[in-house]
Amino acid sequence: MTKRNSTAVAALFVAPSFIPIASFFILPMFGAFYVSFHNWDLLSPAKWVGIKNFTMLLHDRTFYHSLKNTLIFIAGYLPLVYILGLGAALLLNRKFKGNSFFRAIYFLPTVTSWVVVALLWKWILNPQGGLVNSALHTIGITGPGWWTSKSWAMVSVILPSAWKDLGLVMLILLAGLQSIPNDLKEAAALDGATRFQIFRRITMPLLTPATFFVLVVSLINNFQVFDQIYLMTSGGPEGATEVIVQQIYKNSFDYGRMGYASAMSLVLFIIIMTFTLIQIRLQKRWVHYA
Amino acid sequence: MPKSFSRIGIYLGGLVMAFPFLWMASSSLKNDVEAFATPPTLWPHKPTTINYHHAFALADFPRLFLNSLIVSVAATLLQVFTSGLAGYAFARIQFRGKNILFLMYLATMMVPLQVIVVPLFLEMRALNLIDSYWALILPSIATAFGVFLIRQAMLTIPKELEEAAVLDGANHWKIFRHVAVPLCGPSFATLGILSFLATWNSFLWPLIAIYSPEKMTLPLGLANLHGEHNADWPLIMAGTTLAVIPVTIVYFILQKQITQSFLTTGIK
Amino acid sequence: MQRKSTKLVASIATGLMLVASGLVVNQAAAASKTTITYFNFTSVPDHVADVKKMVAAFEKKNPGIKVNVLGAAYADYFTKLKTRVVANQAPDVFDLNYENFITYAQAGTLLDLNAVSKKDKSFKKSDYYGKAYDVFSLAGKQFGLPASFSTTVLAYNADLFKSAGVALPNSSWDWSDEEAASAQLKAKLPAGTFADFQPVQFWEFYKVLGAAGGKFLSADKKKALFNKQPGVNALNWLIGKTAKGYMPTKAQLGTGDESVLFKAGKLAMVHTGIWQFDAFKNVPFSWDIVVDPGGVTPGNHFFANALVVSSKTKKAAAAFKWAKFMTSDPTAVKIRVDAAWELPATSAKAPLAVYLAKRPPANRAAVFEALKNPIVPPVIRQQTELQDTVNKWLEKAQNGTISVSEALNSAATEVNALLANE
Repeated sequence: MTKRNSTAVAALFVAPSFIPIASFFILPMFGAFYVSFHNWDLLSPAKWVGIKNFTMLLHDRTFYHSLKNTLIFIAGYLPLVYILGLGAALLLNRKFKGNSFFRAIYFLPTVTSWVVVALLWKWILNPQGGLVNSALHTIGITGPGWWTSKSWAMVSVILPSAWKDLGLVMLILLAGLQSIPNDLKEAAALDGATRFQIFRRITMPLLTPATFFVLVVSLINNFQVFDQIYLMTSGGPEGATEVIVQQIYKNSFDYGRMGYASAMSLVLFIIIMTFTLIQIRLQKRWVHYA
Repeated sequence: MPKSFSRIGIYLGGLVMAFPFLWMASSSLKNDVEAFATPPTLWPHKPTTINYHHAFALADFPRLFLNSLIVSVAATLLQVFTSGLAGYAFARIQFRGKNILFLMYLATMMVPLQVIVVPLFLEMRALNLIDSYWALILPSIATAFGVFLIRQAMLTIPKELEEAAVLDGANHWKIFRHVAVPLCGPSFATLGILSFLATWNSFLWPLIAIYSPEKMTLPLGLANLHGEHNADWPLIMAGTTLAVIPVTIVYFILQKQITQSFLTTGIK
Repeated sequence: MQRKSTKLVASIATGLMLVASGLVVNQAAAASKTTITYFNFTSVPDHVADVKKMVAAFEKKNPGIKVNVLGAAYADYFTKLKTRVVANQAPDVFDLNYENFITYAQAGTLLDLNAVSKKDKSFKKSDYYGKAYDVFSLAGKQFGLPASFSTTVLAYNADLFKSAGVALPNSSWDWSDEEAASAQLKAKLPAGTFADFQPVQFWEFYKVLGAAGGKFLSADKKKALFNKQPGVNALNWLIGKTAKGYMPTKAQLGTGDESVLFKAGKLAMVHTGIWQFDAFKNVPFSWDIVVDPGGVTPGNHFFANALVVSSKTKKAAAAFKWAKFMTSDPTAVKIRVDAAWELPATSAKAPLAVYLAKRPPANRAAVFEALKNPIVPPVIRQQTELQDTVNKWLEKAQNGTISVSEALNSAATEVNALLANE
């Protein structure tokens, strides 16, 4: 790779995105972090309180509780959505008549708004007469309370989330799969490799850059999961599905505690950044770039 | 796995995946009473288009569509362009501070929108851009997500191709245009779809940044179909069905690009 | 192929940009008029046309003033409002309900209307329903003009009562009568049909507390009193219904809510707001209402919405004119009543007669009977937080996770902490 005039050239390539991102994301982020040292209801001027919001946060049991719930969500959702998305991508990567039609179908949930998806899944998981519990009833099992039950509420949110996003994961992995040269696979097949061996030794390794992308971005987004919780359970029952961003949302506009919400966001940011840095560090061990 | 099994799997999966869309569309054709009938009906007994009439009466759909289209198309084109350039730089150019800069990009994805909107809003106010298309388009010119996606794609380009181009006397711009971009076509198409989708569905920022009804985007118009005490679900379903159509069209158009397969490694 | 599509895409983009800029430029400026902004949630989505009618009537009477109406759904309204206030672009006139009014008044967001109303010769405080007017005053200042008010009643499915052979509710009912009827209904009604429904949350709780003879907060709003014996009785009354099988549990309610159940003919009695009358208009069974049964004493909800004026407005006189018009002018009141758009908060009898004559329900007199014993919501500056805190503990009691007294005591502790910071 050339080093001549690298910084100048790089600057030209990077500037068109850096200038707007710095102006409209990074600057407001600093603004938000500055707000975290204040109490602010938006209606009256902000009042400086130093680190008081952070000391309050340290003792805030609901914050830790939301953190725990968020981690539970991630642990359940991430493997599920990746496996399902990968399965869909592999199945639909082949050439067969109508495969682009099916790719569109598998992407439909991603395109549908959470308002619709939440309502639909509450109906599917309706404890009384919903699709799932009715089916279980016919084989003699009493289905759980799903989103009305403390123990099952998180599962009731994870399932629609994985289902809605698998099309997205599929899309990204498909793009990755498409860039794996066919003649590599053909050569291996000619050498006598089985389908599974090709998958393990060629496909998966060459898919690692896309996988890495899915994992990093999913993790960043999942720490901030909100819409589906808000629409399906509002954090209930009894806070069983309350997540961090919900706390931030309630405090920011509803409670008029924008400073406290910003403090939570700063802590969340540090947590997410830490996880991301760890992932970036680890990528040397398993991600294969060309 | 035998072909027939996977075929059945695909069809079954397809049904499961298409279900919400079908349910949403069928609910939009039901009347108020049937929408909540138990057991729920899959296809309305008395299909009615009254919800669509009602939706068009309550919200200026053509206007909402136009506004969303303007903002989403602009945002998509801009994001694909800026992400391509930056993604290439991060993937293929060595420069000082690259890693820190990339982390700064990623950092912008790590703070929830709820605490960013107020500072951003005050910034737009200072620029006197509140209640304008610019307020919606400017923050959408570039996203860290797009840059990251293209970077990953461009990291998979074999070194040999680049070196061959360099030997031919190509500079970074030429390599970008003639080697990197064509090879990463599927990823650009993917980014196009995802950028369009994200901008089309974006809600909180437009809610705050737009005052006038004439500049409202589709999600804002749909939100105004909700009352304080009651939600007219068939009406809301009609609205969301309408909202989904353009995105689906964009998807169908762009996903052909994704299927463009790269048949050879291109090593001469 | 790459080049062609790039060109095509670029030209579409340019085209759209031109359209966009054209639309921006095409803003007609009405220079000589005073334009005020009215931001509201009460008309969204069903009464947007009715506000337009009111505005048309107002502008005809006041040719120098133009009213620019903006609306947002209730769920999004306060987010938008707060951002406008923080950017110093608050709308001249906007809606506030009683629960939010203290937050905005104490923050200095609202204009004291006394200063403006004194200068207006045609303004008469007696045009308004006294109680509704008074609740929007704070420390001797008047911060809002009441636009409408509402209450809750007990609605019942007369057909279900008849089929179970149970006597219909009447205005002398108290809790024991309601319970006795529930027990009789439960015995006779088929599975899946329930006797009663009363939500277990902040709104019902403070009302039921009042009916149990208790107070929510001390008079100086420094201490929570809802955990004393009346509170225990009130909460037991609320959660007892599910325990005894008169009321569906959350799991049994499923995706619908109580109005859905009532409309489907599966609920005999429901404690609901008068805003539901329109929604229940076309049900296939006969139904009516009765004033909410009292406990130790009668006690009913009192909700009100008002129009308020921004303290930073530069058009106070015009803003006040519009607020006064929409809330008390006979033309506006008639538009409201004809559209079945809540109850006007005026003292005039004639429009109320129109309201009383509408059907269903027949017994609309019950609405006015309810207003004889109003229990005003307890409101503090940190109102949403207060409500969420109370709801959190009520839910635990409802699910049986903790006992009623434990729930109320825990809630009181947290509420006291909130009050200390007020």
